[in-house]
Amino acid sequence: MKNLHFRDSFKNFLFDLEDFITIYENHLHVFNYQKLNNLSETEIILSFNKMKVIISGVNLKIKQMTKQELLINGKILKVEFSYV
Amino acid sequence: MYREKIIWIKIETNNYYKVLIKLNNIGVTLYDNEKIKDCILIKTTYSDYKRIKRYLVSYKISIYSSSGLEKTLGILKKYEVFVVSIIIGIIILFLANNMIFKVEVKSSNKGIQELLVRELNQYGLGKMKLKKNHKKVELIVNKILDDNKDNLEWLEVKYEGLIMIVNVTEKTKTENSEEYPRCNIVASTDAKITSLNIYRGVPLKEINDYVLKGEVILSGDIIHNEEIKNTVCASGEIYGEVWYNVKVEIPFKESYVKYTGKNRYNLSIELDDNKYQIFRSRIMKMKEEKTNLYKLNDFEINLVKEKEYITETKILSEEEAYNKGINKALEKVNLTLEDNEEILLKKVLKKDVNDSKIYLEIFIVTKENIGVLQVVREEVENGVESNT
Repeated sequence: MKNLHFRDSFKNFLFDLEDFITIYENHLHVFNYQKLNNLSETEIILSFNKMKVIISGVNLKIKQMTKQELLINGKILKVEFSYV
Repeated sequence: MYREKIIWIKIETNNYYKVLIKLNNIGVTLYDNEKIKDCILIKTTYSDYKRIKRYLVSYKISIYSSSGLEKTLGILKKYEVFVVSIIIGIIILFLANNMIFKVEVKSSNKGIQELLVRELNQYGLGKMKLKKNHKKVELIVNKILDDNKDNLEWLEVKYEGLIMIVNVTEKTKTENSEEYPRCNIVASTDAKITSLNIYRGVPLKEINDYVLKGEVILSGDIIHNEEIKNTVCASGEIYGEVWYNVKVEIPFKESYVKYTGKNRYNLSIELDDNKYQIFRSRIMKMKEEKTNLYKLNDFEINLVKEKEYITETKILSEEEAYNKGINKALEKVNLTLEDNEEILLKKVLKKDVNDSKIYLEIFIVTKENIGVLQVVREEVENGVESNT
């Protein structure tokens, strides 16, 4: 029998717990990040609930920023994930 | 739905990335940002701006551009002293224009003074009270005149700065025979009588008679069989032709003032006949028009409108100068005339013209009231009559 994860889905719907990263041309949208660990022209390190993301690129800038979301602008060369 | 005001703020720094990490740590919402030389421009909310100011104390932070209430408040805060001065100035101006600090009743009669002050107070016009507009004052004046028909003949209320001036004419009894038991009407000037309206008294002259100044026209003595039977105070209206010989000279070269239309405003303070101007006047030739803003005893603050003018010269033709001379002569005579009196005839007797001037001698005939009251007082003790 398939597990519906009803409780988790409902909780996620209410509190937007799931995190995701969307990559566009020259833009990177991050949702539900926990902390901005490092920021430089070539590297941005972000912490999520269960992982750490290292974004490498050229001329990286934060275009928009809230407590939950980030919109990064620049030439993105590499996105690395490391699970803790 | 309430939408918080979005503003652009400026943070002075060389390290763009360090500042952004700090802003992230304190939970600032960033709608846009731009890195320019030695500073970052950040688009954020006004509440976040206040948070940034509180936490990033080592940075120089200012509002770069804002709109609405924040912008207005920012400007007001920046020019706080100026704005407060303006507000105080407006309040003083309002008080100076609308408060009555002193009431001056132009009458030597203390009873009338007290009566008017009391009556005006009753209608809300008095010391330390607000001025009323012209219509209301007119109504009040009419009410007071109606209520005091026996005492007041005429009443006028006007404002001069902070002072309310009350001009009043008391009702006085007209001259009558009871006051002056014996009086004549005599000629005030040499004239030819043109009309005689006799109310009381015996006429000694007729229409078309010539009279000299001081000659009796209407006598108060009732004579019968060469004996004074009774005396009255003669009264009547006597009009006559009066002649004037007026000499005028008009230069052909005439200077007149022409306003350039350039006006400047200034403030002046007057204290004990000394006048001080607040700003330096930049107009050389000007005419001043004063508007009183504040007045307290000898201290005055006036708004002065300085109107620039230039003096121009005009050369009159002989005809223009001639007409001007006649008008000047008529004007001169007209000034002495009262109601019901008029100029009947004008004739140029002599005209001399030289290079620079025209000389005119004009004969003018007027119709004037020539009768004046002359009271005859009998000095019983000496048995001598005296005229006044």
